[in-house]
Amino acid sequence: MSHDDPLQHPEVQVASGRGYLLTFLISTLLMGVSLLLVANHAMPPFGLMLVLSLCAGLAVIVQIYFLMHMDLSETHIWNTVALVLTIPLFILAIGLTAWMFSTLYERTMVMLPSMHGMAGMVH
Amino acid sequence: MSSSTSKALDPSSVELWDHSHHHHDVISTRTFGFWLYMLSDAMIFAVLFAAWEVLSYSHNFAGGPTPANFVEPGYVFLQTLALFTSVLAYGFTMVALKNGNKAGVISGLWGALILGGAFLALDINDVVHLVGMGITPERSGGLSAFFILTQTHALHILFGLLWMLVMLVQVSRFGFTADVVGRLLSLRLFWHFQAVVWVFVFVFVYLRGMLI
Repeated sequence: MSHDDPLQHPEVQVASGRGYLLTFLISTLLMGVSLLLVANHAMPPFGLMLVLSLCAGLAVIVQIYFLMHMDLSETHIWNTVALVLTIPLFILAIGLTAWMFSTLYERTMVMLPSMHGMAGMVH
Repeated sequence: MSSSTSKALDPSSVELWDHSHHHHDVISTRTFGFWLYMLSDAMIFAVLFAAWEVLSYSHNFAGGPTPANFVEPGYVFLQTLALFTSVLAYGFTMVALKNGNKAGVISGLWGALILGGAFLALDINDVVHLVGMGITPERSGGLSAFFILTQTHALHILFGLLWMLVMLVQVSRFGFTADVVGRLLSLRLFWHFQAVVWVFVFVFVYLRGMLI
């Protein structure tokens, strides 16, 4: 690897038009499917949220792999480690807050049964 | 080993650090540093998503409008297309950079800028439309969380567009110096990250909001 020409840096050379196009097609398709499922009320709310979460999760994994180039290569392993160590923070910040408030609402308010949902799901 | 350490060291002449010139990989260090910044930026979004999660129960809308009343999924999907094609255009900018193609980088940046601008215009038009209907952040806690989350993302888009304008000037004035290439790489992380955040905004705010 040359240290003189910045264009020869592995961070530049990792670019891949095919990967970017694939990401665009897959994530657009997944978002389109999610949209159609919601617009047509294709499923009961709980199942619908499960499928939507799967679509979002898959789209994000594809983007993180092909756009962010998160992998175990020498160039990117520490980016991947930093991401993996941050994911528990996301889960704790969102998941614990959602759980605390959903039980708080149950204990402090009279609510219709339909308002009770899984954390992160339909209310 | 023992023979070298047994020799008495003269503190006035000892070398405490290595003066030889090593190649410091500035681009890798900066890119990693910027990635750590993006992860901390993502924590801001995590907090806003947590706020949206706890404020998106139907009672949080204080009897007022919920996203189920005003979200037009086709319109939001148009925003999705604009942002994803902008991200794709930035991807092709990176391919042009890999090939040392300056004209390609400039036109790729313009493409990403215009498509990102279309996303922002659609967003601003939507907000103006909602405010015109009396759907404002102060109407209810649910709407506060809705607006702050979607508009924080839009603010990121605005700064990404400004950054692209700066890079257009820098690429044409300075060419592919190490600094300019490093900034293009950081902007790549920033811009592509907005697509990841948008997936969550689209699915868990707009689409799930339609089910409230």
